[in-house]
Amino acid sequence: MSKGTSSVLPVIVVFTPWLALVGAALWGKARPKLAKAVYVGITAATLCLILPFYARALDGAVTTQRLLGVVSGISLSLRIDTVGFYFAILLAFLWLLATVFSLGYIHERETRYYCFMALNLSFCIGVAFSANMFTLFIFYELMSLCTYPLIIHDETEQARKAGLKYLVYSISAGAVILAGVLLQFFYAGTLNFTGHATLTYADASKPVLLVIFSIYMLGFGVKACIMPLHGWVPDAHPAAPAPASALLSGVILKIGIFGIIRVLFDVFGVKQLRLLGVSLPMLYVASFTIIVGSLFAITQTDLKRRLAYSSVAQVSYIILGLFLLAPDGAIGGLLQVANHAFMKATLFLCSGIIIHETGKRDVRELDGVGSKLPLTMLAFSVAALGMMGVPATAGFITKWELGVGCIQAHRPYFIAVLLISSLLNAVYFLPVIYAAFFKGGPVGGLLKHETKRTMLIPVLITGAFVLILGIFVTVPGLPYSLVEVITKAVF
Amino acid sequence: MVAAKHPVLLVALPLVFAAFCPVLAMWKKSACFPWALAGVSATTFLAWSLIGKVSPRGAVAYNLGGWKPPWGIQIRIDYVGLLMICLVTALGPLLVLYSYRYVQHELKPERVPYYYTLFLLVFTAMIGFTITGDLFNMFVFMEIFSIASYALVAITGAREAVRAAFKYLLMGATSSLTVLLAIAFLYSATGSLNMLDISIRLKTTPYVPVAAVALVLFVAGFSVKAALFPVHVWLPDAHSIAPAPVSALLSALVIKMGVIGLFRAIFTIYGPTFATRSSTWSSLAGVISWLAVASILIGAVLAIIQKDFKVMIAYSSVVHIGYILLGLMVLTQEGTAGGLFDILAHAMGKACFFLVAGIFIYKGERRQLRELRGLGRTMPVTAGAFAIAALSIVGMPPTAGFMAKFYILWGCIQGGRYYFVVLALLGSLLTAVYCFRVVYYLFFTGARMPDARIDEGPATMYIPAALLALGTVFFGVFANLLIPSLNTAARVILAK
Repeated sequence: MSKGTSSVLPVIVVFTPWLALVGAALWGKARPKLAKAVYVGITAATLCLILPFYARALDGAVTTQRLLGVVSGISLSLRIDTVGFYFAILLAFLWLLATVFSLGYIHERETRYYCFMALNLSFCIGVAFSANMFTLFIFYELMSLCTYPLIIHDETEQARKAGLKYLVYSISAGAVILAGVLLQFFYAGTLNFTGHATLTYADASKPVLLVIFSIYMLGFGVKACIMPLHGWVPDAHPAAPAPASALLSGVILKIGIFGIIRVLFDVFGVKQLRLLGVSLPMLYVASFTIIVGSLFAITQTDLKRRLAYSSVAQVSYIILGLFLLAPDGAIGGLLQVANHAFMKATLFLCSGIIIHETGKRDVRELDGVGSKLPLTMLAFSVAALGMMGVPATAGFITKWELGVGCIQAHRPYFIAVLLISSLLNAVYFLPVIYAAFFKGGPVGGLLKHETKRTMLIPVLITGAFVLILGIFVTVPGLPYSLVEVITKAVF
Repeated sequence: MVAAKHPVLLVALPLVFAAFCPVLAMWKKSACFPWALAGVSATTFLAWSLIGKVSPRGAVAYNLGGWKPPWGIQIRIDYVGLLMICLVTALGPLLVLYSYRYVQHELKPERVPYYYTLFLLVFTAMIGFTITGDLFNMFVFMEIFSIASYALVAITGAREAVRAAFKYLLMGATSSLTVLLAIAFLYSATGSLNMLDISIRLKTTPYVPVAAVALVLFVAGFSVKAALFPVHVWLPDAHSIAPAPVSALLSALVIKMGVIGLFRAIFTIYGPTFATRSSTWSSLAGVISWLAVASILIGAVLAIIQKDFKVMIAYSSVVHIGYILLGLMVLTQEGTAGGLFDILAHAMGKACFFLVAGIFIYKGERRQLRELRGLGRTMPVTAGAFAIAALSIVGMPPTAGFMAKFYILWGCIQGGRYYFVVLALLGSLLTAVYCFRVVYYLFFTGARMPDARIDEGPATMYIPAALLALGTVFFGVFANLLIPSLNTAARVILAK
């Protein structure tokens, strides 16, 4: 936490996506093609605006900007530190790919869809760039609300039910987080993120700290889909259009994780959490979620529902890694943020292509899809292998680091959880791959076309990243370099 | 400025406009609207010129007829009074503007002049009520706006409107009598009618039990005007049956006068020091805060089960009166500031709700919730205004409602009332249910192909609604404009 500078650039980054609304207002109806170009351009511009912070993030330097004072002690402020940058760059990149994918996938209610995509991007970056819990809460709530129109985009009965469930979960979680924020402010007197513990034994007794911790876990756990708070995930993911489900799983669940990371590193601090003794209970909860989530995934026949349960399980890897409270565990957990984002985005986007091209979403009907959509299914297979933790894929790196972390934390038995989970992943992914490539004859004759280029290219990029993140782990610029800085500062 | 030297103009000016409105109608009925708009706008100008003139301890004071208090009537504008007159005068022109087309649509032409006259009277009396320093004068203003409100509820002349107005009148008159009795008791105990004078005498003279009885009567009387549970029963009928701009006026401002009455009685007249003399004060504060929580929860449940849009909105007012009084009665600086801020937040949000409901009635008599399906596609501005106001009513960032809720909850925590935090958050979840349900109907259901016959409605109707919605966002983002002053006001109130 060496240098701190003030700059308006974070503010510009957060509000750039709003320009999409201008584009929608000007050309949404009259010139839809131009409007779409604007949406993609603005998402790309946002990504480009975040990139320059890379060098500073690698240094561990902090950029802050105060927006508005709210009360003495609370302000709306932005802050770019390493972990915030890591999340922001990841989500902006995925957002760009998903937006490009949407060009080919979304055919109805486009203006609403792209506007809420852009708003959501803005709010997600806002969460990542928040300088205190209050700002984070504000952006978090806005993000929660703006996700709703994406989930019920199709306006089918199923989407409506899923949307309702999502809202009930999210708004309740928001209220819980608000209670946490108030309590934290009351006891700690500050909500700022400083990179070390701000709410300590000096401020409150152990039961109070435990209550605040539990409140935060309950609140953020809904987005981070810790069982039993995951109820909305398996409904919302299948209901949303594919690019939105890719973002839900790849980004929005991670925003819940981001909240937990802030609570871990900037509110309580690692040392204190060890003293509080919350590590083991959280590890049990995470392990439970990993195994039960995978078991549920096996029983699903709807492809996207299966993927949704898989997300529930995989996101808990992050929680497992973080709550080992050991450096390598945290590295594994934080790497999993990017790794899972790319793997699950690939899988969801592929499932979108499959649905778009063949109209099938039942895993039992996918025989021979591989011959019709060879590249798509190749990407799908790579990502699925990544999920299983096959070496040379991103998933392997996660599991390796988590395993090392388990040993570091003197809890080697949690490695068993990782192994069982890999096995279960194989059980629900391998049959899909097998059926796609080796079962049945070619569907629909020879391969004339794969799918639209706007849909295929994002999938190939995310698929390639699954391999890149698995092979070139320590290349500067890839997540590992950032994650190392983050964990070094904390441990 | 004129208003700072002669604050009496704030009351006199609209009163003159009200008096001449029927006279003008004899000459030309259509002149009433511009006349009312001119009167309200001129008052707005006067009131807003006072901003910055009021300091926490030094209020703008004016002695009527040159008689010094406690003998003469004194006008005293403190922070709370200023907040209220700014709010009343901000909403006034918007509501008059909105009324223009709505009244043409809903009322018989011969009743239109009455409408504007009564509207101006309510407007005048509310300003008078908040800025007067004299207890009996306050009662007179209360009677003026109450009686004018009964008439406004009944103005369509429809059977159910008359019935609702009569119910309102019965409860309102009872509450007025209770307040009058309280004033009489207090007068007998202290020998004064000037509020500041009474508060000093209550401190310096020996304690008499009558003073405590008067306090209880004040609270009972003003609770009815504020529609606090369980004396809220008149509100859903009156507020839902009245013409939309009247509903907005009643819900956004008139019930707030009950809150201000409670505020004046509990804080300005008696004040926390009275707690050292009689336990009545603290126990009443406790009772009101529990009733406020009951208002929040029961009001929200009742709102959820409604099928009629306006009745639902009316119940929502019961909920928010609960929040406001909860904030005021937890007796912490932040809570009080939050309660006062919520007066503003709720006024804007709820006025917007009723104006939107009125537009839906204006464009095709849509009163039931299920008739609102898909209107977001054909009436984006109107429905969008509703959606934004809904965020504020629920208490979602970045709106004024959120800041108010945040402060109220923070006040509860400061006061160590954790259970209130839980209950209030539960209430806001219930609020989310009934507000977001409407947003859902408006935007996410209904036919793909919009009905070509429905469009946005007149600009004089949707622009006020949209401005109110934007106001909730403005005061949410720039809450800092007001909160420091409210904090200071709260500190002064509680430090007595």
